[in-house]
Amino acid sequence: MSIHTALVKTEEQKISIEKAKKFIGSEEYGAESIFIGRVRNENSGKKVTAVTYDAHDQAVLKSFQSICNDAKKKFDSNVSIFLEHAKGYSPVGEISILIAIGSGHRDEAFKICRYILEEVKFQSPIWKKEHYADGKEEWLPGHSLRPKKEIK
Amino acid sequence: MEIQIKLYGSSKMLSENETLLIKLPDNSNIGQLRSSLKQFIDENYSKSNLGNLPNSAAFFSDRNEIINDSYQLKNKELVSIIPPIGGG
Repeated sequence: MSIHTALVKTEEQKISIEKAKKFIGSEEYGAESIFIGRVRNENSGKKVTAVTYDAHDQAVLKSFQSICNDAKKKFDSNVSIFLEHAKGYSPVGEISILIAIGSGHRDEAFKICRYILEEVKFQSPIWKKEHYADGKEEWLPGHSLRPKKEIK
Repeated sequence: MEIQIKLYGSSKMLSENETLLIKLPDNSNIGQLRSSLKQFIDENYSKSNLGNLPNSAAFFSDRNEIINDSYQLKNKELVSIIPPIGGG
């Protein structure tokens, strides 16, 4: 019945699955749904060694809170939500995003988890720069937040 | 007038500093800032893939809200450039 959101600076700490499980755990809940996104070692045929995540901290935290509140209104108010995203340099295999939901039943747990993931990708000002095995690096394209009617 | 742009994501390629200073005619708005930024990129970063950034980016005010093209800028104002996002 509570919400935890954070940006985790990777040079200081790592996103913790145990912390998430502890946060959402409750005898009231019959379902726990956990999504873990990790940095993978390949993208579009290029060998990836790491990703650097950049973020507009204040706007991200505002969006996280708004997304979680919307999810509770849309699906079930009696849930616990844990949402953390990495910021900084993250080697292959590291957790980039963790979403954990505790709820009465599985349907809400799955739906809220998916909803939050998609909305974070759509709303939260986070960017990623991939680092490749050949030493090159590249900021990835994304979704524009500019009002659609203004885009030429 | 001068505007400071706080850089995020791919726009960080435009400067080694956290902000980029852009000079504009007095009473300029965000639309004019886009045009000046486009000119700056064309002149200094023509070989980069940042050519469409001034068109695709959003801008945030210091209150972290999206500001549209008609938003009137104040001298020395700090705005954030928000390139297309892609977290997760």
